[in-house]
Amino acid sequence: MIRRLDHLSFHALFNIAADALLLVDAEGKILVSNPSAQAFLGYSPEEMQHMCVEQLIPERLRDRHVHYRQHYLAKPEKRTMGQGADLLALARDGRELPVDIGLSPIMVEGERYVLITFIDALERRRAQAALRESEERLRLAKRAAGLGVFDRDLLRDTVTLDARAREILGLEEDAVVTPEQLMAQVHPEDDALRRSALKQAMNPHGTGEYYLEYRNSQSSAPERWVAASGQVFFEDDEPVRIVGTLQDITERKAMKQAFRDHQADIDAALKRQAASQTASAMAHELNQPLAALSAYSEVALHELEKTACSDQLKRALQGCIEQSHRAGRTLHELLEYLHEGEPGLEAIDLNVLVRETLTLARAEGLIQFNSVLEPYLHLPLVQGNRLQLQKVIANLIRNGLEAMRDAGVENPTITIRTSQKGNKAMVTVQDSGPGFHPDTATRIFEPFFTTKSRGMGMGLSISRALVEAGGGLLWADPEAGPGATFHFTLPLAS
Amino acid sequence: MMDAVYIIDDDPAVRDSLALMISQEGLIVEAFERAEDFLNFVPQHCRGCAIVDIYMPTMDGMALQESLLERQVTLPIIFLTGHGEIPMSVRAIKAGAVDFLTKPITRERLMSSIRTALMLSEKVYDQAMKAETTRHRLDDLTEREREVMSLAILGQSNKEIARHLGISHRTVEIHKAKIMHKTGATNLLELARLAQEGGIVP
Repeated sequence: MIRRLDHLSFHALFNIAADALLLVDAEGKILVSNPSAQAFLGYSPEEMQHMCVEQLIPERLRDRHVHYRQHYLAKPEKRTMGQGADLLALARDGRELPVDIGLSPIMVEGERYVLITFIDALERRRAQAALRESEERLRLAKRAAGLGVFDRDLLRDTVTLDARAREILGLEEDAVVTPEQLMAQVHPEDDALRRSALKQAMNPHGTGEYYLEYRNSQSSAPERWVAASGQVFFEDDEPVRIVGTLQDITERKAMKQAFRDHQADIDAALKRQAASQTASAMAHELNQPLAALSAYSEVALHELEKTACSDQLKRALQGCIEQSHRAGRTLHELLEYLHEGEPGLEAIDLNVLVRETLTLARAEGLIQFNSVLEPYLHLPLVQGNRLQLQKVIANLIRNGLEAMRDAGVENPTITIRTSQKGNKAMVTVQDSGPGFHPDTATRIFEPFFTTKSRGMGMGLSISRALVEAGGGLLWADPEAGPGATFHFTLPLAS
Repeated sequence: MMDAVYIIDDDPAVRDSLALMISQEGLIVEAFERAEDFLNFVPQHCRGCAIVDIYMPTMDGMALQESLLERQVTLPIIFLTGHGEIPMSVRAIKAGAVDFLTKPITRERLMSSIRTALMLSEKVYDQAMKAETTRHRLDDLTEREREVMSLAILGQSNKEIARHLGISHRTVEIHKAKIMHKTGATNLLELARLAQEGGIVP
């Protein structure tokens, strides 16, 4: 009775199981199949009975399967699903179906049977492939950006770093690392910044975003600039974990610094030049009345000499003349001294200078813009001061960029052309902005004239002064639109 | 025509004081504030000299010198400058400037420069006038006389000229006599020189 009950319950379970089930004997012959198995493989119960399991396997794999089956029966043990390689079942209509298979050996009255469980593995394999792909993509993205990953458990006070993160922080690949150790590596000057960034990120009412650029100083490796970007996770308003990435930004920082240094150098040099030029202009201005004083005195003395006049008067006028010349000599010495400080002139390839200045303008990052360069390739070298010319071109580019930004121009474009006009070289800078009214074309060079909300309006008047000091001309061309167009000329070197 | 000294300087006090000083020497002085004004005024041939300030706002002294050369104005130039820049003074002198003086300037230094300039001007002016007269004389020649003259100064004999132009020996002789009379030349060598001065180059 028990055996019968057992028998019944086995059948009931066997038939209602959602998994496909087959009971096979030691020869691999199918004794019973359940409806799930029949439906999955497309056979009727009658067809299924007495089939050999190998018939349910793609032909090319059958020989190997016989070998496996015999090997299994020699040492049967329970094998759960999903183990081993990707398995395939052959349906009645010839389709090959990915399956997961489980094996359970059963002994009945000294006979060995095997219960085969299998399920459709298509979905699982698809999901697995998708997961693999996405992991691969993440890995590639991380590698491309050179990102390292950190994961800090705030409750247990532990931190996990991937290989790249360790590399960035200058740590051994398998060394045990504690959060304290990492904090100790933060440059002392950046530690206050780190604390405040962390405090802000750990605020349960904030976004939980963490960002910090700091110097990682470690005795065994050179100092590196690191950008840490992460997200804090909260449980019941309690920060429990920060996960994020690390990036080595040393080079980016160095480039930015170099750019700033370069700008500072230019500004300082121009300031010195402006001061020297102002002093020089004032010395010239003083020299004019001095020349007149001296000449007037000589005129007076000459007139007096025609008549009999007092010696004192003559002496006084003589003194006027001598003192004027004395003051003149001092002024000339001053001018000579200032002249030494004046910018040196050099032979410059304008096409190269224009290209360099465009690169600088881009690095300044005011806005993204297109640039069109139309160089006159046979342009001879010009005579000028490199710093000043760069400032002039940069000013014109910046004016164009600001005008296009303020007007919200789409595809902002700066076009720079070089050409030769007789014994002068000409540079034309044109933007794709709204341009300017012919009336403003002359006024824009006045000091303090500006159409912008910001700025002093000194850019163009300084640029014009610099160009004219170098023997050239700078003017606006309202006819050449669309967009604002400026030309300036420079003498050729030779 | 009297010698005149032209002052071109944008500074009124400099203009005035120098004008006074130069007029004390008995010279005619004319002063101009702008180089452009002087250019409009100055004839191609005149006697005198120009005292020109290097630094002027619209057209500077060097540009004025260039324009004068372009117009073949032969007036000698003395440059005045606030402080002497050697490269610029070299350029100015090479382009024919008489002197390059630094302000403030003494009467002595200025007058010595002016005297040199006036002497130069006289020479240049005389030459120019002579050339002008020659050109006028040559202008009186007929087309045929010019032809005869250009062949004669090449050294061709009357016979050769006659054959060349397809005219009689006698006609050539008459033309030649007229040429000598009109130009005032006394011999062939003088005629050749006149032809060169007057721009008839064989």
